[in-house]
Amino acid sequence: MSIMEYNGGSVIAMVGKNCVAIASDLRLGVQSLGIASNFQKIFPVTDRIFVGLPGLATDVTTLHEQFRYRVNMYTIKEEREIEPETFAALVSSTLYERRFGPYFIEPVIAGMQRTPSGSYKPFIAATDLIGCLNFAKDFVVAGTASDKLFGVAEGLWEEDLGPEDLFETISQTMLNAVDRDTNSGWGVVVHLLTKDKVITRTLKGRMD
Amino acid sequence: MNSFVSRFASTGHDVELRKAREAFGDEDESLEMWGSQAGFGPLSKGVPSFSVPAVPDPSAFLRLHTDDHADPSCRIKIKHGTTTLAFRFRGGVIVAVDSRATAGSYIASGTVKKVIEINPYLLGTMAGGAADCQYWETYLGIQCRLHELRNRERISVSAASKYLSNLVYSYKGMGLSMGTMICGWDKTGPAVFYVDSDGTRLKGDVFSVGSGSTFAYGVLDQGYHWDLTDEEAQELGRRSIYAAGHRDAYSGNTINLYHVKEDGWKFIGNYDVSEMHYEGPAGVGYGYEIRTAGKSSANPPPEPESQTAQT
Amino acid sequence: MPDGSYAHPQQRQFNPYTENGGTILAIAGADFTVIAGDTRQSEGYSIQTRYAPKVFRLTDRAVLAVNGFAADGNMFVKKVKQRLEWYRHAHAKDMPLRAIARLIQTMLYAQRFFPYYVYNILGGIEEDGSGAVYSFDPVGSYEREACRAAGAAQSLVQPFLDNQIYFKNQQLPPGQTRPLHLSLSDVLSIVIDSFTSATERHIEVGDGLEIYVVLAKGRGPQGLEAVRGAQELTTNAEGDRVFIVRRELKKD
Repeated sequence: MSIMEYNGGSVIAMVGKNCVAIASDLRLGVQSLGIASNFQKIFPVTDRIFVGLPGLATDVTTLHEQFRYRVNMYTIKEEREIEPETFAALVSSTLYERRFGPYFIEPVIAGMQRTPSGSYKPFIAATDLIGCLNFAKDFVVAGTASDKLFGVAEGLWEEDLGPEDLFETISQTMLNAVDRDTNSGWGVVVHLLTKDKVITRTLKGRMD
Repeated sequence: MNSFVSRFASTGHDVELRKAREAFGDEDESLEMWGSQAGFGPLSKGVPSFSVPAVPDPSAFLRLHTDDHADPSCRIKIKHGTTTLAFRFRGGVIVAVDSRATAGSYIASGTVKKVIEINPYLLGTMAGGAADCQYWETYLGIQCRLHELRNRERISVSAASKYLSNLVYSYKGMGLSMGTMICGWDKTGPAVFYVDSDGTRLKGDVFSVGSGSTFAYGVLDQGYHWDLTDEEAQELGRRSIYAAGHRDAYSGNTINLYHVKEDGWKFIGNYDVSEMHYEGPAGVGYGYEIRTAGKSSANPPPEPESQTAQT
Repeated sequence: MPDGSYAHPQQRQFNPYTENGGTILAIAGADFTVIAGDTRQSEGYSIQTRYAPKVFRLTDRAVLAVNGFAADGNMFVKKVKQRLEWYRHAHAKDMPLRAIARLIQTMLYAQRFFPYYVYNILGGIEEDGSGAVYSFDPVGSYEREACRAAGAAQSLVQPFLDNQIYFKNQQLPPGQTRPLHLSLSDVLSIVIDSFTSATERHIEVGDGLEIYVVLAKGRGPQGLEAVRGAQELTTNAEGDRVFIVRRELKKD
């Protein structure tokens, strides 16, 4: 019985052309028993940054509130919104503070990063449970269905997908991967971030 | 005790003989293996014999390498089956099973056939180790046919279940994992026997076996009575497996429904658990939020379209 | 398991099993079957060899892929081939595919108390000319399917196959239907993509890929003419045909 698999859940983030998408399942379980099919694991940090928190459910809530506190303090001190790359560093240091008694979460970060020219470019990152950062160019996965997500994403992803194509790709990846995992599923939510809006869609997934 | 000694001893004259036979040609090369007796050859002689590792405690060895309840990180992951149920009523026996097989937390298959058709009037269900159930229920089919040839009449469900139960009892403690229900209709009427690898054999009216059995019992117990009609009984079986498939992580995918009547069993259908959740068998989904959509303050009915123009 | 502490007596025992990595997969079509496996054999973080075949031709209509513990796998294939030869001598014909599947079950179950640590996938052509894939667990439970992946990267490849072969979670626009069976060239592309994806994301997969294609008797070689390097292995010109296609995979 692993602590990371106690509640179940998975998250994926993918990069497209001037857009980024992040998706998670909606299941909260206690080992084999499914409890809730509306458990939120992806939270908005700012208008342009979303963080996904798969892992132990109590730490999902705790970390969400920790990040909310730290990002608010940053906003007050800096008098500006935090950027995705900075937020990733914030996540990493928050987790490493608990190096010898960690939070059982492997966060996934997706956002639109401001460029010096004034436009936005897509950004994704993931960390392990003690804060080691992974800045991938294509996609990042975390949670109980992570290897299934790797397999489908590697097969379906290609560079420079437009927003609608990226939505289809990440949806198919999530739906097919969680259907092969006992501890993930019961519905999927997808957030699609472009430079000026966020579209959130809830998918009809298998309920077993 | 003596059979134990002769099976596991490592010294002694018959052991020397056995070792010599093993060194120069093992059981595979015996004449039985040529013909149609094949893998069941040693069994038709009466006492089955399987090769066992030459270690002091063979069952601990097997448990070390294969049992994933004790050690989820063990290498050999044997596929385990999960929610099955059978109940008898006025119209015969309803047998309903799911079709998921898991190896750890990986869903190895969603199309496993967990009802084994022993012969046209006997069904066996599969829960626990898939290979143990498949292999021994095939063996049971052989014994049932031999019974028919020797006695010129169909075997009773009681006798069939006892063949199986005595067989697994001889392997008690060695690591077989099997929880099965033998269902049929014989001279005494419809019958269901629960048989497991601990040696239990129970006659009863309602059984559910597997990790999702508690969820299935919840629905089964509230809906069961002897005088159900055929449609009500099939609906009860289907709804119970749906409940287990929905809540239990190790059950799901599809439901296989069978009905055993006096003239034999009939396959009623294969139903996808997720489709049952959203659409149901007759247009109304089984899922809670589907049935209660628009009926609470958290989930209100959609606003009716405004008919009159604004003034 | 021994943990090195001084609290209680400990004993170490010889472990007869090890894991040699690799991945195999098989896909059944209407009148053909494709069985593929990578050729890397590893132990832990070391590569033992870059070329150790895992897919073997049993007869002109049956191909067996084995994965798990290579020693058990190779020995098991040898024993299966031997039993098929005895059958041929006793019955003057090749064993039908579903009979080979049942034979494999009983051979695996005979070692129920000291299992072969092998995940088998048997692919080929049934007596009625249809493509068939049978997959087994180490102690003999088996099932006929349309496609199956097994091995180290099975959890990466199988969900991709669910989406591309069974079209799971894909909804067609209303009015459209999809073809009942995939073509051989589509299936070969899906197989090669699956292995390149698995090689990218799993360390135990790579080096080389061997794909066996079994075609039903009477089905012409359409779909295979365009494939570079296809080599025929059929021994009997009258029956089903077996071809092999080799490809390179990343070696890192």
